[in-house]
Amino acid sequence: MRARKAAPYLLLLPHILLSALFLAGLAAGIGQSLGLMPALGLTEPTLDYYREAFTRPDMVRAVLYSLRTAAVSALIATAAGVGICAVLVLSRRAHDRLVGLVRLPIAVPHVVVALLTVLLCSQNGLLARLACLCGLIDEQSQFPALLYDGWGVGVILAYVWKETPFIVYFVLALMANIDGSLGQAAVNLGAGPWRAFRKVTLPLCRDTVLSGFLIIFVFALGAYELPFLLGATAPKALPVLAYIEYVHPDMRHRPYAMALNGVVILISVLSALAYYALMCRKVAALRERGGAR
Amino acid sequence: MRRKRIWSGALLTAGAAVILLPMLVMLVWVFTERWAWPALWPQTFSLRAVREVLHRTGQLAGVLASSVGISLAVAALSVLIGLMTARAIVLYDFPGRGAAVFFTSLPLMVPVTVFAMGVQVTFIRLGLNNTVHGVIIAHLLYSLPYAVYLLTDGTRALGVGLEEQARVLGASGLCAFRKVTLPLLTPVLLAAFSMAYIVSFSQYFLTLLLGGGQVKTFTMVMVPYLQGGERNIASVYSAIFLAVTFLLLVLFEKLARRWMRHGGGNFYG
Repeated sequence: MRARKAAPYLLLLPHILLSALFLAGLAAGIGQSLGLMPALGLTEPTLDYYREAFTRPDMVRAVLYSLRTAAVSALIATAAGVGICAVLVLSRRAHDRLVGLVRLPIAVPHVVVALLTVLLCSQNGLLARLACLCGLIDEQSQFPALLYDGWGVGVILAYVWKETPFIVYFVLALMANIDGSLGQAAVNLGAGPWRAFRKVTLPLCRDTVLSGFLIIFVFALGAYELPFLLGATAPKALPVLAYIEYVHPDMRHRPYAMALNGVVILISVLSALAYYALMCRKVAALRERGGAR
Repeated sequence: MRRKRIWSGALLTAGAAVILLPMLVMLVWVFTERWAWPALWPQTFSLRAVREVLHRTGQLAGVLASSVGISLAVAALSVLIGLMTARAIVLYDFPGRGAAVFFTSLPLMVPVTVFAMGVQVTFIRLGLNNTVHGVIIAHLLYSLPYAVYLLTDGTRALGVGLEEQARVLGASGLCAFRKVTLPLLTPVLLAAFSMAYIVSFSQYFLTLLLGGGQVKTFTMVMVPYLQGGERNIASVYSAIFLAVTFLLLVLFEKLARRWMRHGGGNFYG
């Protein structure tokens, strides 16, 4: 009987060890953002770095830039992903090859996505050449600067290309499943397919869609590659600015990096709580179904 | 009805074009020598970029080996630890289950940059900084949530009925797990393995910071060319590594199919 009780903890042991390492990293980061760096003789916790971080104009702009690119790209990708799922599910055709194709970008690393974006969207990229062919522009410089611009259009486009398939991957199986069972039941009861989809299938997919949105939002908020490779010199994205402060030869700059990371953590924690609430509903559903012995 | 079909067909075709066009442009760049504004097609083709990459065969082979090796190790560990975690969460009710669920998904909500900058001091203390196994552990932390997610769903869908059936018929716990559960779970194991592999293979920042330039993976080698504006060489590296990834993903699937057949799982035919 005792073995039964210990079993789940034994199974969880490797994960617990990894989680401990993860938490140690997170705690060290938060500690340093509060100015705790024993190696440098800094042992008094302080909020000065946060205060200073929020009065430095480049940092405030970095926060806004990162929030904007992450939110806009995650919103577009989620909407597009759900839209593609809806078309795939509602057209009720065997789309195996198409689904395989839609998943393709998931396997493409972000640095390669950056390359693809440069090849297509830069001022001498394919889109600019097409615009020239159509007579819309004559010179390269007339093509809008989508890359290295203050709005981060290139970064957003790259994220949308990369994350829309993730949403499809994340949502499609569930949506097809629900549509095939409960959605079909609604149709049998007299609802039109579109109405059944809107009133039955979509609401039942809501939690999963929301978790997918949170995952790609937090990812885009804290990812380094795309804003580093496609972003402007100013404003910089939060992680890019944080890394610059982090590798500053003067170690006393490190708390600034951590304060910037602290801002990311704060937004992430709020997202994590929302995500956890969604996961809890899932666990509750699990209990109801009597999955536990 | 027919009009709707045309609409959805057109939409899906447009989507496919958006996905494929950039990849095709990259393939053209692999062989491009000169592509002056505003032509839609390169003026001169050459194998210079390909030759330049292949010329440094030693470097290419080394990077391929370490990239693929690290990601394979991460994927294998993710599936192993992920399956253990999934079984604990799905099959047992124990104090702390909610916390376990929370910690399995936590890395999805903490960006890699935050974690990497925070953990580096700990990594240095543990002697993991600038080492291959340190990079593997860091990648593992970020691959594992996806594996756990997929494996939890799979384990839950499968339930315990069949495994208990085998136990009732006299199989030992290990035997029932190996002969019943594992073959039935193979498609999910494959999905988790592939996803973990992809997540690890795509990492840049974790490898940059915690590998400290000592651990050379594909992204480490490719980015300087991209920054230097050498589009054709960056394209060659990307094409080679994407080809390897897709070949491996197909290979995993083939192996899983074969293994399933020999594992006795006839249920999926």
